[in-house]
Amino acid sequence: MSTYLSKRLIYMFLILFAASLLIFCLYALTPGDFISGNIKLTPERKAELRDIYGLNKPLLERYGIWMSNAFRGDFGFSLAQQKPVLQLFNEYIWNSFLLAVVSTFLTWVIAVIVGVISAYKQYSWFDTLVMVAIFAAMSIPSFFIGLFLIKILAVDLKWLPPGGMLTTGSNATGIAYLKEVIHHMTLPVVVMTLLGVGSLTRYFRSNMIDVIKQDYIRTARAKGLTERKVLFTHALRNALLPAITLVGFELPALFGGSLIIEKIFNWPGIGQLYMQSFGLRDYPLLMGFTMFIAILTVLGTLISDILYHVADPRVRLQ
Amino acid sequence: MKRGIFLLTSLLIASSLLVSACSNNNSNSNSASKPVDTKTQDTLAATVGLTEPFTATDLSKLPAVAQKRTDTIIVGLTDPSGAFTPYFQQSGYDGNVSSLLYASLVNVNEKGLPVPELAESYDISDDALTYTFHLKSDLKFSDGSPLTADDVAFTWTILHDKAYDGDSQVLTLNIVGGAAYKAGTATTITGIKVTDPKTISVTLEKPNATALVTLGSNVLSKAYYGKDYKFGQLDYIKKLHEKPVGNGPYTLEKFIPGQEVRFVANEYYYKGKPATEHFIYKTTEGDVWQFVETGEVDYASFSATQENIDKLKGLGYLNVIPYTPSSYGYLQANLEHEQLKDKAVRQAITYGLDRKSIYVDASQGAGSVANIPASPISWSYTEEGINPYNYDPEKAKELLDGAGWIVGAGGIREKDGKPLSIHYLGSKSKNTDIFIAVAKENFQALGIKFEPEVFADFNSLVSKVEGGDYDLVSFSTPMLTDPSDGLLQFVDGEIKGYDNPKFKELYDKGLATTDIEERKKIYTEIYQLLNDELPVIFTSYKKTVYAYNGRIENLTVSPFIGLAGSLPNWSLK
Amino acid sequence: MITTPTKLVNAKRTKDSPVKSSLFRQSIRKLSKNKLAVSGFVVVILMFVACFIGPLFSPYTDNKINMAMMNKAPHLKHWLGTDALGRDVLTRVLLAGRISLTVGLASMMLSVFIGSLLGALAGYYRGIVDQIIMRIADLLLTIPSLPLLFIFGALLSEWKIPTDYRMYIVMLMLSFVGWPGLARMVRGQMLSLREREFMQAAVVLGLRDRRKLFNHLLPNIVPLLIVIATLNIGGAILSESVLSFFGLGVMPPTPTWGNMIDAANNMIDFQERPWLWIPPGFSIFATVIAINIFGDGLRDVLDPKQKR
Repeated sequence: MSTYLSKRLIYMFLILFAASLLIFCLYALTPGDFISGNIKLTPERKAELRDIYGLNKPLLERYGIWMSNAFRGDFGFSLAQQKPVLQLFNEYIWNSFLLAVVSTFLTWVIAVIVGVISAYKQYSWFDTLVMVAIFAAMSIPSFFIGLFLIKILAVDLKWLPPGGMLTTGSNATGIAYLKEVIHHMTLPVVVMTLLGVGSLTRYFRSNMIDVIKQDYIRTARAKGLTERKVLFTHALRNALLPAITLVGFELPALFGGSLIIEKIFNWPGIGQLYMQSFGLRDYPLLMGFTMFIAILTVLGTLISDILYHVADPRVRLQ
Repeated sequence: MKRGIFLLTSLLIASSLLVSACSNNNSNSNSASKPVDTKTQDTLAATVGLTEPFTATDLSKLPAVAQKRTDTIIVGLTDPSGAFTPYFQQSGYDGNVSSLLYASLVNVNEKGLPVPELAESYDISDDALTYTFHLKSDLKFSDGSPLTADDVAFTWTILHDKAYDGDSQVLTLNIVGGAAYKAGTATTITGIKVTDPKTISVTLEKPNATALVTLGSNVLSKAYYGKDYKFGQLDYIKKLHEKPVGNGPYTLEKFIPGQEVRFVANEYYYKGKPATEHFIYKTTEGDVWQFVETGEVDYASFSATQENIDKLKGLGYLNVIPYTPSSYGYLQANLEHEQLKDKAVRQAITYGLDRKSIYVDASQGAGSVANIPASPISWSYTEEGINPYNYDPEKAKELLDGAGWIVGAGGIREKDGKPLSIHYLGSKSKNTDIFIAVAKENFQALGIKFEPEVFADFNSLVSKVEGGDYDLVSFSTPMLTDPSDGLLQFVDGEIKGYDNPKFKELYDKGLATTDIEERKKIYTEIYQLLNDELPVIFTSYKKTVYAYNGRIENLTVSPFIGLAGSLPNWSLK
Repeated sequence: MITTPTKLVNAKRTKDSPVKSSLFRQSIRKLSKNKLAVSGFVVVILMFVACFIGPLFSPYTDNKINMAMMNKAPHLKHWLGTDALGRDVLTRVLLAGRISLTVGLASMMLSVFIGSLLGALAGYYRGIVDQIIMRIADLLLTIPSLPLLFIFGALLSEWKIPTDYRMYIVMLMLSFVGWPGLARMVRGQMLSLREREFMQAAVVLGLRDRRKLFNHLLPNIVPLLIVIATLNIGGAILSESVLSFFGLGVMPPTPTWGNMIDAANNMIDFQERPWLWIPPGFSIFATVIAINIFGDGLRDVLDPKQKR
């Protein structure tokens, strides 16, 4: 296990190193830089500013500087926001995390319940209905359904706020604050859950169908256990086991924010910050964010593999 | 011009990102019940729209959220980032924030003419090189400390630091001794002289009519921002961004990143404490209607389409005022390309492009056709001796024939075996879609091959323009204060390949005097020249409307400084 | 494991050949019993027919603007009304369908082709080939796809590709971010198939690599590929619409369902002009849902064990 881990860790570093180089080059190749967006500047002043920011240095040198700073935990200052990149992450990521964690939780709960029932009643009208509903939810462009729900639920019916995270100007604390946030996050969470629940439900359904056909389920039934017990203690547990590996893959999504949902619902998350920074070519922030996601992805994969081993000790780690 | 910093960004960056999302999206059309004949539409566009301010008809319709606010006014702002120190901010939205936190020495009025603010008065020497500002007495910063001429001197000085990375125009004025300070060979700027705590003068190397307003911008506290200052070291200012000490109508109460900037009235404001205790800039991404209809914001701007105006009036709880921004839209032509080098071709394109359909009809009256680089609200605006270039495809064809571009095989014009093609760049917006659709047909009719390209983000577009890989590109200027602002691009090298000594001479002449009547004459001459030469193809002036909560009183909007001027007077009834 | 190889091969052959000959017919029969899948299939076919043939009967195919007919509600001359430039919405939806369906199909084929080829090579040869391919896939998987698409979008404008060819670019972009996941899956399948007895038999028989790969291994993952491919078409159509939302999709005035719906994605059009967003919205919805249902039915028939 420990040799495996150390091997994996070395590999992770190599991949991340390669990723950082690739990301850096891609951003550097992207036309325009932070200075070029400000067309009010004279060409001389632009050159001066590029000099101040070090944007005129050779690519590899810039990468070297960035990398050596990053190793020391210094991801630099955002050019547009004039703040340390890490501080900005701290200000925005938790808002994204809140949305993601709640909607992921809901997605899983719904997917498990619906998946189990529709697997159990495979090819029944309920199953068919669920399948159609699932595919329907997966078939709408997210940006469209988002604005559409705002129009109906916020603008016309005024049941929910049209965006943001707090009532503007509110000084609520404690329970009142919590209520306010829940009120504001309802719409984005509903949309995120709607978009994510489909594929997961299908996953659980097919897992469950496989498990139900296994011999030990037949045995359990033969023992005379109640159907409910067979389904929820014997079958579900085995159907859930492989899903544990998915947990790791959710990691980047939990912290990475959602570019579309946050933009539409005016949510102060990292995804929206990224979008704005991309338009401005705020390289320190863009690099920092993309690397952050890369690290989470690699970590997530590792966690998945380990969990897989834990869930099914027959799987050897190599 | 100082407003230029943030207005520029808000107009340009925003026009590619957000403003387009709220205004352009809505700029499209006639509702189904409107008459359809093109001719009636012409008259429609001319007669309807909004000419007079409209007053809310039924305040009881105001959404409950807005009803509840008694001492708070909320305005939407795309994305303030937290860098609230003027001169040191990179985003135009931060500029909107700091314009409430800091007052200026000199401001501009509704006509774009300078008026003293923190300064009691100012003198300009006869050679137009030395500007002397006399400060009002008892000026105070928001922490209660006094504001003196030393603070003004400090502000101008740190802008000349070699580490300064902002885009202040003060640097372009060439203050005597500024370059030496920047190079590190002098410890003070010789051109800046503090005579007494209330008097400061500054000497320039050459006259510049914009100097007064540029110099007369925000004042930073030396005691606060200069405490840790060492030459070449300005990083410490970043730490002070979110703890500003200003002298404007409001002080910063709280900044919630990505959500709100909260202000509270500044009791030390030189005009007295503002009427409304709290003011909030709310971060608003998305369709602006959703915030207006739910009462989440008290104020918003819309493209002046009939549809928007009708809908705003119909809501009943909003006051609506018409407004023409001081900017102008244009198609920058690549003068280094063979086909557009020729004035006749540029004129032909102007004649052959149905600008009225694009900018007036298709945008439902939310614009008008431009022919000179100045907005109709500018004091320098004129139509005297200006060719309106009315849509005339026949004239366009004649001009092209005359210029040697003859229709060849496939209906595309050719000259010396080269086809006449136009590579157009635009940023993603509904207006660009309209332009491309109409221009494609117009150019086809003229025998020009049209190759449009649309960019999702402004930065890519600009770098493509910098690389010279284009023929025409759609741009809009930021809000312009002085007429010379709208001409700057023709002299500072931005429009490559335009080099007309006569224009340069007139431009310098226009800046060399501060006499308005004199300048008017000069600018008329400049406009006639540019209208004929068309170094860029002038396209349109935007028309917008501002809608605001009917409970707000004393609200006026200046085309040159936006809301900031009247904001301290806003009150809720 | 060292049983008599001949016996094994024979057993395999006798078992395989009758099934193989009728596998296709058998699947069709099974599929035709699944009414839902059949109706999905019918909808998809109808969609294709309508989009590719329908515009031929429209008097408005030249896509000409007509300022006098801006934003008219549906009426006799324009069954689905007109848009902001007076263009016929019905014609545009059908023309858009051509592009959207083509983008969906083509980018699916491209990514399935690249993904399965690379995955198969990696899984079959292992060693250095596997290392190189999978490391590249790992690398690409670490970079989030939307930012990657943003960067590509910005980069590609530098390549001076005429706007008319933008749709091919969109396809390329989509398949480029799509292949690593697929390659990984195919590789996994390959690795497990390699260890199966029939493959060991093939090794013992001394078959050539190419024969082993194409005659024995790939046919075994074809059902999986077909299912993935079907489901991917729907995904690609949706992705194109998301790209349009970010302004990276196919450029107007060339219509796609994505950019049509994006053009009407605002409060005023939601309220006043449902004919602008319902047709493209419904088209995306109906097509994607139909393709998914059909793909799901296919999966049940071809590959009942496959998960997800």
